[in-house]
Amino acid sequence: MIKLHNVSKSFSQFQAIKSVFLTIDQGEIHGIIGASGAGKSTLLRHMNLLEIPDEGEVEVNGQKLTSLSSKELRQARKSIGMIFQHFNLVANKTVYENVAVSLEITNFPKKERKNRVLECLQFVGLESSLEKYPAQLSGGQKQRVGIARALANKPQVLLCDEPTSSLDPNTTAEILGVLENINKSLGVTIVIVSHEMEVIKSICNRVTVMEAGEIYDTVLIEPTSIQIIDNSPRYYVEQLTKGGGMDDA
Amino acid sequence: MPELLVQYETEIWTSIGETFVMVGVSILAAILIGLPVGTFLFLCRKGQVLENQFVFSILNLLVNIIRSFPFLLLVVFLIPFTRLVLGTAIGTAAATVPLSIIAIAHYSRLVEQSLLEVPKGVIEAAISMGASIQDIIFKFLYVEARSGFVLGLTTSIISFISYSTIMGVVGGGGIGDFAIRYGYQQFKTELMIYMIIIMVILVQLIQFFGTTVSRMIDKR
Ligand SMILES: Nc1ncnc2c1ncn2[C@@H]1O[C@H](COP(=O)(O)OP(=O)(O)OP(=O)(O)O)[C@@H](O)[C@H]1O
Ligand SMILES: [Mg+2]
Repeated sequence: MIKLHNVSKSFSQFQAIKSVFLTIDQGEIHGIIGASGAGKSTLLRHMNLLEIPDEGEVEVNGQKLTSLSSKELRQARKSIGMIFQHFNLVANKTVYENVAVSLEITNFPKKERKNRVLECLQFVGLESSLEKYPAQLSGGQKQRVGIARALANKPQVLLCDEPTSSLDPNTTAEILGVLENINKSLGVTIVIVSHEMEVIKSICNRVTVMEAGEIYDTVLIEPTSIQIIDNSPRYYVEQLTKGGGMDDA
Repeated sequence: MPELLVQYETEIWTSIGETFVMVGVSILAAILIGLPVGTFLFLCRKGQVLENQFVFSILNLLVNIIRSFPFLLLVVFLIPFTRLVLGTAIGTAAATVPLSIIAIAHYSRLVEQSLLEVPKGVIEAAISMGASIQDIIFKFLYVEARSGFVLGLTTSIISFISYSTIMGVVGGGGIGDFAIRYGYQQFKTELMIYMIIIMVILVQLIQFFGTTVSRMIDKR
């Protein structure tokens, strides 16, 4: 469970988050949507204290993050995974090493590390690319590595900042499928920031709409399930040339 | 082999040895002190994990001051300090003191620059995983910046060689000093040219080696 209680945040003079109250339930897939600059990323980044609120409290997995020591906070972050629009992988580490590093950081038992890394990479379908470097991967594969890395420490919460915004529609659907699977089979609470309505509609149970640093509304939705969109070149041509009605008589 | 080289063989080898000592100590100083200083310069910047305006300003100012000294003046200016540290301000060992100081200032700046090229998102990913400062430095920053470190060190070593050529003023010797004393002051132009050729080959080798290594370890 994630609880934001009266959270406010300013950057110099500019108030990016204005006394936000938000509760996200255990097991939910929660969307955050809104225009560019509305404060979606900033709000998400409060959920693992990448941003420290000027005011208010943040509680995740029953722990009040805002009152932890820095050591306790690092400990708490193990149970809060995060993935990013630009993946943020270590370019000089292989796929295997990128996942393994998150276990090194948390002192995961040495003997079990290898198994855990392989297990996570298998889960995202990348077990055959262990020795590749990020530069050799497609965007979708990079995001899978990001997901495997975030899952390694068995988090209870997964924070996703525009996880599919640099991917094509088909790859987007695949990644959303992986996220849905994580939620269903591992019971991980997921928060997804996106400005793409389709993404939000396809997998979220509840959506928070933001405007200018405030919550405009939080609505319950029925996920429409993920549409695997045909991304064959033929489909693109068809969509592009489909009559715009200009010459309809 | 040209007659002159044979005639001065012992002196030439001695001067090459002196250059290696001076440059070698500078490299050690650059790595052992310049690397940490550069890392702190980076980490103490605004918005970084150890943000500290005070420490940053002091380090930044020191590095700038040292680097803005004309090197010859720095050598002279540091004579009392060198005497304090080593008991003498004359000789090859004494020459390593000002060389090390400029080496630290020079390399720390290049380290800082390489670290600034590491995408901010990588550091954020590290923090979000629960990484400590130590983890961030050794498991993320240094891994991503390593080819920049090597290229920076290559550039630095070449500068150190250049700086070392004027250490004759404090009796430091070295190839440059030999070229000036015998080649220039005793009008043995040929000898001076040989020394320059040795320097050129040395620099070429270092640059080739540095570029190759940095390319090998760069997977970006
Ligand atoms: N570190 C920062 N320093 C200064 N201003 C910031 C910082 N981070 C965010 N802001 C500002 O806060 C506001 C909200 O930013 P945020 O990144 O949360 O928006 P967003 O809703 O995620 O937008 P986008 O869809 O473009 O990603 C923006 O006006 C942004 O310029
Ligand atoms: Mg954003």
